[in-house]
Amino acid sequence: MSKLDVKMDKAADKLTVQMAGTIDEDVDFSQFNLSGNQQIDVELAGVKSINSCGIREWIKWMGTAGPAKITFSNCPKVIVDQINMVDGFLPSSGKVNSFFVPYYNDESGAEKNVLFRYGTEYTDSSVTPPEAVKDEEGNDMEMDVIEAKYFKFIKK
Amino acid sequence: MKKRGLSIRYKILLLLTSIPLITLTAYLVLALRIFEDDKIAYVFDSSSTMSGTMAAQIKTQLNAVLGTTKPIFQDYLSQYKFSPVANSIFQNEFNIEDIVVFTQGATGQYEKSAVLEKVPDGANSLLGTLAAQMPLYFAETDANGRVVKVPFHDDRVLIMERVLNDTKTKSTIFMVLVRMSESAEMFRAATSQKLYLISADGTVLFGPEEMPGQKIQSLINPQFLSDTGSKVGQGAETVKAANGADLLVSYAKAGFGDLTVVTTVEKAQALSAVQILIRKSLIFFGVLVSLTVIISLFASSGLTHALTQLFTATKKVSEGDFNVRVDVTSNDEVGSLADNFNLMAAEVSRLLEQTAEKARMESELQTAKTVQETLFPETRAKIGPLAIAGYYEPASECGGDWWHYCQVGNKIFLWIGDATGHGAPAALITSAAKSASTIIEKLDISPAKAMELLNRSIYDVSKGRIMMTFFLASFDLTTGELVYCNASHEAPFLMKKGADVLKKKDLVPLNEVNNPRLGQARDSIYEQTSIQLDAGDGVFFYTDGIPDIQNPSKEAWGEREFIKALIAANKDFPNVSDSVDRFALSFQSHRQGAALVDDVTFFVVKHEGLQ
Repeated sequence: MSKLDVKMDKAADKLTVQMAGTIDEDVDFSQFNLSGNQQIDVELAGVKSINSCGIREWIKWMGTAGPAKITFSNCPKVIVDQINMVDGFLPSSGKVNSFFVPYYNDESGAEKNVLFRYGTEYTDSSVTPPEAVKDEEGNDMEMDVIEAKYFKFIKK
Repeated sequence: MKKRGLSIRYKILLLLTSIPLITLTAYLVLALRIFEDDKIAYVFDSSSTMSGTMAAQIKTQLNAVLGTTKPIFQDYLSQYKFSPVANSIFQNEFNIEDIVVFTQGATGQYEKSAVLEKVPDGANSLLGTLAAQMPLYFAETDANGRVVKVPFHDDRVLIMERVLNDTKTKSTIFMVLVRMSESAEMFRAATSQKLYLISADGTVLFGPEEMPGQKIQSLINPQFLSDTGSKVGQGAETVKAANGADLLVSYAKAGFGDLTVVTTVEKAQALSAVQILIRKSLIFFGVLVSLTVIISLFASSGLTHALTQLFTATKKVSEGDFNVRVDVTSNDEVGSLADNFNLMAAEVSRLLEQTAEKARMESELQTAKTVQETLFPETRAKIGPLAIAGYYEPASECGGDWWHYCQVGNKIFLWIGDATGHGAPAALITSAAKSASTIIEKLDISPAKAMELLNRSIYDVSKGRIMMTFFLASFDLTTGELVYCNASHEAPFLMKKGADVLKKKDLVPLNEVNNPRLGQARDSIYEQTSIQLDAGDGVFFYTDGIPDIQNPSKEAWGEREFIKALIAANKDFPNVSDSVDRFALSFQSHRQGAALVDDVTFFVVKHEGLQ
């Protein structure tokens, strides 16, 4: 049984897809039709994990969208990692609208996911992180990723 | 096997027969006791009735005698001689043989005064015979007013009645000898119950043959004889006879003189019906037990037959024959047991086959593991300036990760890949990759071209069902140039040697090019790029199983700890062996022996300076 919850909302030529859960070998994307849409917005904040079998199914599913313009919103780190690593995970017609960047403070152990939005924190060729990210106690937090690796997809 | 005890068939038989036997025995004992008590009560009741009836009859008869003789007595007392009227009455009473009148003389002794007799000189003959007893009779009559004797131990009864004059100064004793044949015969003829007419001292007046004149104490010594002052006129008691037999004794005082009627019945005789009941009950018991045994045999044979089948079948199972089945058609618990046994045997048989199959597959997997191990290179190597050290641990017998290095001309090719999933299917793909690499190595081509060929090989083998991320690099032994091509694999980290210790910012991901995974499409085009490695620089190649390493609490190691461990292991740019050992130690301390969720593969190369 799939551990992924998918909700689809079609309005005019735009399809909004909300996903939450785990994308693995149990997922059956064939029941979610992407074809016939000009615009597909995929909301990914609820995705917890994805494995290699899930990636295979994802790429096949994205391939069924045809020429539709696809945007990914609120991408968690697990999705950004796959976008960076797996060629085709983000379709050629796809674009990331927003994604989360993990921050942490090594001393306090505080963690926070900061949303980077297209046009605000990043553009097609550059990233402008917030000047300072602080935890609840006001401590400075640092980015919990290898920037050259994590922001790679922006500079493609 | 444990030694068998009593068969369940005999246990059932024993149970079914012992229950009615015990129940009926208890019932019989209880019933017999009640019956015996009831019977004794009945005998006491009937014999008391008999005693009372006989006592009343004796009293009536004796009173009748006195009633007849009373006019004679009065006739005498009116004239102190018998008139012809008195004689006439006497002659008409055939049962009365003699009447003798005694009056007190001057000395106070009784002297014969008058006589009425049926036989001439009969009275004198009577007095002559009783001469010895007469003083005693007079004394008793004086004391009691009336005495009844049977002096000849036959049916003749001697009644002595004392009559006082009006001033009570002179007493006259009338002695009447009367024959009571019917009463004597009744006492004599009694059979099952013995009747005795006794006087106060226990002398038997009437009774069975040989007993008249005897003391009843020679037979029995009932309590009521000793209790002389008792006013109880009738009673019953159990008395042990002189011969040891228990007698049921009842008595009734006649109310005439000191006469008492006693009835005795032998207890054993009275309870003979109980013996009959016992005999009949025993016969009934025998029949019932026999029937129970026969029915039990039939009932138990049906049950034990099925159980015997089950026993035989389980014995065969214990000997290893799991194909045995039990044919029991009953619908009861034993039938269900047999059905369950058959299901169990079938399931065990299936599991055994499955276990054998599993053992065979495990054996094959072990063989595959052994074969796959040959696909991996020596974990420590140094080719020219390039030192190499690696680590590989599959999540199961066979893994989907693979790494390799080889020298082609003046280049060292470095291979690392990760097939979709893990286990045997992924391992087969790594085998295909290894096979392809063996050929590709001989072609002396660029990493990008090599990747294209490798992709076709993987695609042809998996038909798009299993893919592989891959990273292929070639290190030029003479220039130090590293050319690489990535097929959606985790980008290796270049650890650029600086003057200071290694820091996070010194980690450079080799991700300038990326390409589709191997096996995704047959004709994918792969691009490559290059970087320059300087002496001291190292590169860390790995698969994505490393951040996924979990501890026993299922907590993943995570990318942050992974990066920290990588930096810590290489902060002083150690040799590759130390680098691998340190890094492995880091994740093993997190893992704490927990099973891997994915294969773990990494290797480190270090440029140790051109020759």
